[in-house]
Amino acid sequence: MIACLTIPGLELKAALRRTPSLALRPAALAPEPQGEPLIGPVTAAAEAAGVQPGMRLGEALATCPSLALVEPDAAGAELAWEEIVHALEDSGFSVDPASLGVAYFETRGVERLYGGLEPALRRALAAVGTEWDARIGAAGRRFAALAAASVARPGQTVVVADDELPQFLAPLPLTLLPLERGRYEELEALGVRKLGQLAGLPGGAVAERLGPDGRRAWGLARGGTAARVRGRRPPAAVAASLEFPEAVGNELTLRRALAGLVETALARPERRDRFVRKVALAARLESGGSWRRALTLREPSADPDRIRVALSPRLVELPGPVVELRLELVELTEPTGHQLELLAAGAEDRSRLRDGLRQVRASTGSGSVCTVVEVAPWSRVPESRALLVPKDE
Amino acid sequence: MVARAGESRTARAEGRVVVRFNAPRAARVEANANGTPLEVNHRAVALVREEWRVVDRWWTEEPVIRGYFEVVLESGENTVVFYDGASGGWYTQRGA
Repeated sequence: MIACLTIPGLELKAALRRTPSLALRPAALAPEPQGEPLIGPVTAAAEAAGVQPGMRLGEALATCPSLALVEPDAAGAELAWEEIVHALEDSGFSVDPASLGVAYFETRGVERLYGGLEPALRRALAAVGTEWDARIGAAGRRFAALAAASVARPGQTVVVADDELPQFLAPLPLTLLPLERGRYEELEALGVRKLGQLAGLPGGAVAERLGPDGRRAWGLARGGTAARVRGRRPPAAVAASLEFPEAVGNELTLRRALAGLVETALARPERRDRFVRKVALAARLESGGSWRRALTLREPSADPDRIRVALSPRLVELPGPVVELRLELVELTEPTGHQLELLAAGAEDRSRLRDGLRQVRASTGSGSVCTVVEVAPWSRVPESRALLVPKDE
Repeated sequence: MVARAGESRTARAEGRVVVRFNAPRAARVEANANGTPLEVNHRAVALVREEWRVVDRWWTEEPVIRGYFEVVLESGENTVVFYDGASGGWYTQRGA
């Protein structure tokens, strides 16, 4: 069985940990500083007052004038989610965290350990704790597990057997499908409002009308494909942080701080000569919120300059003055497996290489051996950077 | 000298044929409504690792307008594809 654990509104719950009194009042997660003015998840009191997640800020305030806006705490939410995933992993589940607040895991490996499917799912809920209102759905397929979790109440588990799957999915809303907002409206205009109605249409007709996205959604409405869940590799816990004596908004100071953090993080003994594949830069803001950006390097590297250059442009995206800057080395490569030189630079090797190339040329003809000559290595257009020039001597 | 994507423009240097290194190759890409690749040469895309745009030489008659995607295919292979705004086609490219 594949299980899906969901925590709706995790970002809001994480942000409310700073001001727990707001949890019982109408409150919503404030829009991102540089994004569209759409509110995030809302509290139950706000929902009762008619405020919906994703509503325009003006409309939400007009609907509920007493609505409190909670500053987003992106780094806090990431950290809380990481703790939750870690707690599941500590209980023996191999977890695939699909997005913030949604994680999948296979129960097959732990069912015998905990005495069956239901006890294993209860164990997973216990590992997460009651604070987050987590719920779990389990089914033979990923999408079906997500759909089951969407109908479960906080702290509840819903298990859907394979033979009940079509009947279970049929009455569920289309919003469970990963489609653009316009597509839902298009489907509603066609009279398709439930998964069962979409699943009942011919696949070819759906693909023709809605394209590849629609075809995929149609496949999901019929239960989705039976793919296995691959657990993540637990992230490396190598980080360095710098707290400023007073809030800093100056880019030059932040760049210098970043350079120092990169050097410090790379020098940590826990890194053990491993190369960095993914990094994250997080900041605690003066306004009380936080900010976080993760970046996967194109080539794993342990070169401080390279990591600094890759991260520096992100500093411009900071929404306000910073009280603390933190660098996390999220993914590291294995200590072995770094590509070594094929041939050491030595006269004997060069001579052997020349002989080898002569033989290749003799057997394949003139023009078969080329040298790469850089002509404009700075060019942004890859094919303008170098030429292949035949090497016939 | 910038060749339009898909053109295998060559030059002659001292009588020898010189070709571009990492020239783009036409690819069959199926993309979603946002233009994100779903399939590259009939192989499904498992993950889009990165995407970026290259806009260059806009002051010439051969402007370069490309939307690049570094993707991992379901076979595990890493590949870079781009949509060429000038020719309206998809290409794969190494060294991007």
